[in-house]
Amino acid sequence: MALKRGQVYVAIVMLFLGMMIAVQVRTTSRLQQLSPSTRVQELTSSLREVTDERDNFKNEAQDLRQKLDEISAGKGNVSEAVQDELEKARIQAGITAVRGKGVQVTLNDSPKELQPGENPNLFILHEEDLLKVVNELRAGGAEAISVNEQRLLSTSEIRCAGNVILVNTKKIAPPIVILAVGDPDTLSSGLQIKGGIFEQMKAWGLVAEVAKKDNITVPAYTGNITFSYAEPVK
Amino acid sequence: MWLPLIGLIIGIIIGLKSPSLPQTWAQYMSVAVLAAMDSVFGGIRAGMEKKFDDTIFITGFFSNVLLAAGLAYIGERVGVALYTAAIFAFGVRIFQNLAIIRRHILKK
Repeated sequence: MALKRGQVYVAIVMLFLGMMIAVQVRTTSRLQQLSPSTRVQELTSSLREVTDERDNFKNEAQDLRQKLDEISAGKGNVSEAVQDELEKARIQAGITAVRGKGVQVTLNDSPKELQPGENPNLFILHEEDLLKVVNELRAGGAEAISVNEQRLLSTSEIRCAGNVILVNTKKIAPPIVILAVGDPDTLSSGLQIKGGIFEQMKAWGLVAEVAKKDNITVPAYTGNITFSYAEPVK
Repeated sequence: MWLPLIGLIIGIIIGLKSPSLPQTWAQYMSVAVLAAMDSVFGGIRAGMEKKFDDTIFITGFFSNVLLAAGLAYIGERVGVALYTAAIFAFGVRIFQNLAIIRRHILKK
């Protein structure tokens, strides 16, 4: 009879054993379904796809622009005035690189060592600072502006996205170099005016420098310009 | 002899029906499974040596499972793989018990 009772106990233990093994098998098979390596592969392939797509668009944009160049250059019957107007429009649109007198503005986070208890947010460069500087440059009559090689268009955004700043949907990070074509004296004095943006930024220990240049080149916008909603009013 | 097998089958059925555990519990389950297997083999060996004691068996099972899971838990907390101690101990014992069971069966 002792053996019979023993069998009951063994049966109970076996019941637990079977239960645990079954649960474990199910958990493991579920884990394999969403294992991180497959997720990484998925993301890698989708990244590659998107990168290819982007390259294609870039080529397409270049091709179209080249065609536009050919058309505007080759036709003899296009009058001088129209050519001139087209060139102006292209500068305005930011799809052609321009050079001339201007300023180079360098902005960076505070080089100061952070003390314990201090909020690091106060000592890093924010998109607001960048916006104010760009706004000041525009107010000073800058004709073309680029931020870290990103040409600012009429549709460009300067926006905070997590810990980076987006310009033309491209991530940029400090040190930020702004190139602006315009009257160097007006532009630099606008930035350095008493109580102006530079003074505010320096109060937080941020690095803000402006250098007058005789010849700077502002790069062209390299992305695609598409209008999905806007159409001209005839 | 059939009772343990029936228990195992019922246990598997319950395990398949029950909701699956969160991922973080998988480690505890693995050592607990090992502890249970150790107890079962130990019980079979004791039965063959005719000195099976149900109280020792059942308390041994639960204390093994709890200690193994506890070691895994503490190990995870302190960042040391303590559960390997349980795996090592149970693994060695399972093979030893299996060897003794095999000899008993062969001597018959």
